[in-house]
Amino acid sequence: MKLAFVETLIRLARANRRIMLLTGDLGFQIFDRFQALYGPRYVNVGVAEAQLVGAAAGLAMTGYRPVTYSIASFATARCFEQIKLSIAYHGLPVVLVGGGGGYAYGECGVTHHSGEDLSLLSGLPGMTVVAPGDAHEVERLLPQVLELPGPAYFRIGRGQEPRYHSRAPVLLGKARLIQEGGEIAVLSTGEIAGELVRALRLLKERRLTPLAYQFHTVKPLDVETLRKVSARVRVILVLEEHLAHGGLGSQVAAWLAQRGSRSVVRMLCIPDEFVLGSPEKHQLRERYGLDAAALAKTIEAEWRASPSARRRG
Amino acid sequence: MKQRNLAGTWRRVGNRAMLKASLGDKARQIRATCVQMAYDGKMGHLGSALSCVDAIVALYHDWLRVSPATADDPDRDRFILSKGHACTAHYAVLADLGFVPKDCLSRYAVMNQPMGSHPCKHALPLLECSTGSLGHGLGIASGMLYGLRHKRSPARVAVLLGDGECNEGSVWEAAMFCAAQKLDGLLAMVDYNRLQAVGRTDQVNGHSSLEEKFRSFGWGARTIDGNAMGGILDALDRFPLRPGRPTALILRTVKGAGVSFMEDQVLWHYRVPSAEDLARALEELKAAPLHLEGSER
Repeated sequence: MKLAFVETLIRLARANRRIMLLTGDLGFQIFDRFQALYGPRYVNVGVAEAQLVGAAAGLAMTGYRPVTYSIASFATARCFEQIKLSIAYHGLPVVLVGGGGGYAYGECGVTHHSGEDLSLLSGLPGMTVVAPGDAHEVERLLPQVLELPGPAYFRIGRGQEPRYHSRAPVLLGKARLIQEGGEIAVLSTGEIAGELVRALRLLKERRLTPLAYQFHTVKPLDVETLRKVSARVRVILVLEEHLAHGGLGSQVAAWLAQRGSRSVVRMLCIPDEFVLGSPEKHQLRERYGLDAAALAKTIEAEWRASPSARRRG
Repeated sequence: MKQRNLAGTWRRVGNRAMLKASLGDKARQIRATCVQMAYDGKMGHLGSALSCVDAIVALYHDWLRVSPATADDPDRDRFILSKGHACTAHYAVLADLGFVPKDCLSRYAVMNQPMGSHPCKHALPLLECSTGSLGHGLGIASGMLYGLRHKRSPARVAVLLGDGECNEGSVWEAAMFCAAQKLDGLLAMVDYNRLQAVGRTDQVNGHSSLEEKFRSFGWGARTIDGNAMGGILDALDRFPLRPGRPTALILRTVKGAGVSFMEDQVLWHYRVPSAEDLARALEELKAAPLHLEGSER
């Protein structure tokens, strides 16, 4: 995803000379080509996230389209007030890219985990929050967020995420159908979509086909799709590499509850705790039942417990 | 001697001494306006505004190439009041020069009015940016200037910071960046009034070395008397202090400058003047608030 991000940005920057790329001293070698092509439109501000965001704000105020890059945990929490006041309060068109979002840097420990980035950024008025599922979604979504009149947070993975197949177009603000189905629904956001796709494959062998969507856009929430989903199924599972508070799951639950929906939302995410022990991404997913095999089991159990499945006996 | 007028063009002025004297009078009038605004708006931060009045007056009259007619010009010089709580001084200068109608001054810190208790660009669009939380202005200014230079614009950027504000690490992140990028169109003025919200700046975080700090960060830096108009104008004439480097002017000022009973009193960081305080202050300043000139108070 990281390479897809850089390659897409290089392509976009060729046509749009207002694009500037700022990094907080991260992205070793991956920006070399951007720098070689565009010179001063690449700026390494150093290990200084407040300055990363402050400088981006100033650039946006003079008509540029800055894209900032750092590891997700530093790109968001470290400089949150700069994002809130210098960027969001002013409604500036800055794209804040968080690399290795969620727990992609699991083995680096708690300092490098960002299980609250979607929540933090969703809390800011006017902020668009996007978490693509694979390189293809990065390629399609980046040009769209760079057209927005206001700010956006763009959470990407660390690299080598599997591409998955879906015929649905990738439109900002619109959930993407991964699998047509019924009985229950599974919604995902971010690169853990790959895990869901593998789980669906396992389930298909057992002739279980839940409805599945990828919500690459967390904010604004695609309530139109949500309305359709909640009309069709009772139980909605929400899968994300994020803490329970404030992510896609809680935003989906809040929206459904507000409109008096009878849907049941179950969150498949990281519980309210710091993930200790520095597990690698796959170990971490196994620990919390978020790997494909465990997901398939959970989804199957929900399927068998769903009202219509029970009626059929 | 050469001077820039408000339209941004160069003109020769014969008598520099006369300008210094007239801007000194102007500063007294701005101070009177600030006191009146704080009284009417029932909002404090008066001490912080009074200490930097001279700097803001000097900037707008003698350094910034911007006027009401060029407020939207992409090549205008920009000013950011990073210590946003001192905004009465900025508002008063803007009104005096015709950037905003003077009657706005009588509605300072009133809901839904242009002049909020902290500067908000949504309320007053001609501001370069909204401020109020400390430590943001210099970073924003650095990005602006980087962009302006990239566009080959001649515009420069001035930022006014508080000395207490320099406790914020983000100020020094920005300071490093400005020097590394050789942003010599940048002027940072630090209002070194030696008092912050609850104590002496030098005791809280050891600021007696602000000039050395900026210099060691790669800036050109000087300390001057920030309440003496002549000295400020002379220092501005020497901008940039060192070619290829950003300039920091450390302004030794007195918090509450110009009003004897407010001077150097930490109490007057937040205190709102009473009717009696207002009358005494205006008496001492021997000036009427801008917006009440010629009218009965």
